Amino acid sequence: MTACLEIAGLSATLANGVRVLRDVSLTVQPGEVRALVGESGAGKSMIGKAVLGVLPPSVHVIEGHIRLEGADLLALPAKERRTLVGAKTALIPQDPLTALNPSRRIGPQMTDRLTKILGWSGEKAEARIRQLLDEVQIRDPARVVASYPHELSGGMRQRALIAAAFAAEPRLIVADEPTTALDVTVQKQTLKLIAAMQRERGTAILFVTHDLGVVAKISQKVTVLYAGEVVEEADTAALFADPRHAYTRALMRATPRYTDPQASLQPVDDAVLAELAAEIATADRQWRRPHG
Amino acid sequence: MAEPLFHVRGLKVALPDMARKPLFGRAPLIEILKGLDFDLPARSITGIVGESGSGKSTLGRALVRLNEPSAGTVVFEGRDITHLPETQLKPLRRDLQMIFQDPMSSLNPRRTIGAVIAAPLKQNRITDDLAGRAAEALRRVGLPESFAGRYRHELSGGQRQRVGIARALALSPKFVLADEIVSGLDVSTQAQILSLLEKLAEEMGLTVVFISHDLSVIRRLCRQVIVMRQGEIVEAGPTDAVFAAPAHAYTRDLIAAIPLPEVDPHWLEAQPSA
Repeated sequence: MTACLEIAGLSATLANGVRVLRDVSLTVQPGEVRALVGESGAGKSMIGKAVLGVLPPSVHVIEGHIRLEGADLLALPAKERRTLVGAKTALIPQDPLTALNPSRRIGPQMTDRLTKILGWSGEKAEARIRQLLDEVQIRDPARVVASYPHELSGGMRQRALIAAAFAAEPRLIVADEPTTALDVTVQKQTLKLIAAMQRERGTAILFVTHDLGVVAKISQKVTVLYAGEVVEEADTAALFADPRHAYTRALMRATPRYTDPQASLQPVDDAVLAELAAEIATADRQWRRPHG
Repeated sequence: MAEPLFHVRGLKVALPDMARKPLFGRAPLIEILKGLDFDLPARSITGIVGESGSGKSTLGRALVRLNEPSAGTVVFEGRDITHLPETQLKPLRRDLQMIFQDPMSSLNPRRTIGAVIAAPLKQNRITDDLAGRAAEALRRVGLPESFAGRYRHELSGGQRQRVGIARALALSPKFVLADEIVSGLDVSTQAQILSLLEKLAEEMGLTVVFISHDLSVIRRLCRQVIVMRQGEIVEAGPTDAVFAAPAHAYTRDLIAAIPLPEVDPHWLEAQPSA
């Protein structure tokens, strides 16, 4: 079976030569949710951006492959790449308020992708969006599409963006911390919604999050990142049952757990971080040799 | 239990509703806190939890009189401070300190960290050995003295929050309001900041109100917890008791919505109890 997404040996640097992604490899099979988890600066969002082709200009991919249903994105001409990525992928962003244009109504912003990238007629796009809004349990879709972003609650905005992401039946969704800005009860509803829609359609999701709690609930596979390097990769159930890497274990002990307050929220041991830094320094030295 | 440091009865706060402000004239008032009764035990950490819009931050700001209540009383150390004018509040301010969520925006970018920490000292007419006091405050929060010469942009998020704590504690206050102080931090840094706050509160005999949307963090840090929703207290009590047997359906929903770092295929299917 061709993987929905296959990233192989991906390295990226800043202009000063510092590597921000270090030989990253991962796959997302069709219908699978893979969590990318790590602390800030781990490069988890950057991997999502690399897939979508929206890396900031300061970051340069210097080697590796990103294959979307077998097509090597980095080898494609820019225009073809954009068309392919636009047709087969979608993004659920962290903060719908920042992702939406504040001076335009929600409806046209939701149909944009369908009409402009996929070339659908306005009527067809509107019908699809209405259908999706119904599916994400927005009770009054007419009001929502006519609203400006600030007129909706955070949970409602995120629902609208989830509907928009699923509207064109993408093969892969990059969800970049989609529930981080939400209240905990709204987060749970939103995760339930994403999971239900994903299962029904068999959409693959690359789910970026800093929260091991969210990882445990939403994903089947997980990649743990630190400083742009894959620290551990496993089935989600296996990772929580038996974390192999010292950093993964430290991250788990640092994660709050109300059922065991004394054993959770433990600061990450400096020795673990020192060991990681040494690992990374060694990897960088080995990598630099053939790269001058 | 010790004598309460704060004694709050019938607290109401109304703020201008800018969403309904007419073009000319005043915005209509909207009641944010709808009559709250509670005591804050001295030398203890009390958590206030609630979702956005529950009024938890407004409550915190009323305690340190950053806003003036519209009804009810706030008694601090036996003294009614509900409507004290600013001139009479000034001497109390050194006992009522606060730490904010985002240390990046609450630290002056053009001042060195040493000057940031010394500013509240100067305002309270403490002028001798400012550098020494700032260095002492930095040492207390686990930062090297050399940080006094740095600027906020040179610090990591965790270091900035340590500076926020150092500044709040430099005056040896009796009360500290900590409003979502670990929300923007990574879990590993979060754990360090919580341990630091816990240690300093114990050492300095501080009374702390710790506002958070995260019940897991409150469970770890706070002896008592107040659960708020829509400007009202739905439940309050010792943290252990509230977690062992939450009395209110809303508290049960809040707890059930926390994704524990444990695989549970049924979690996404369960219905909320309300």
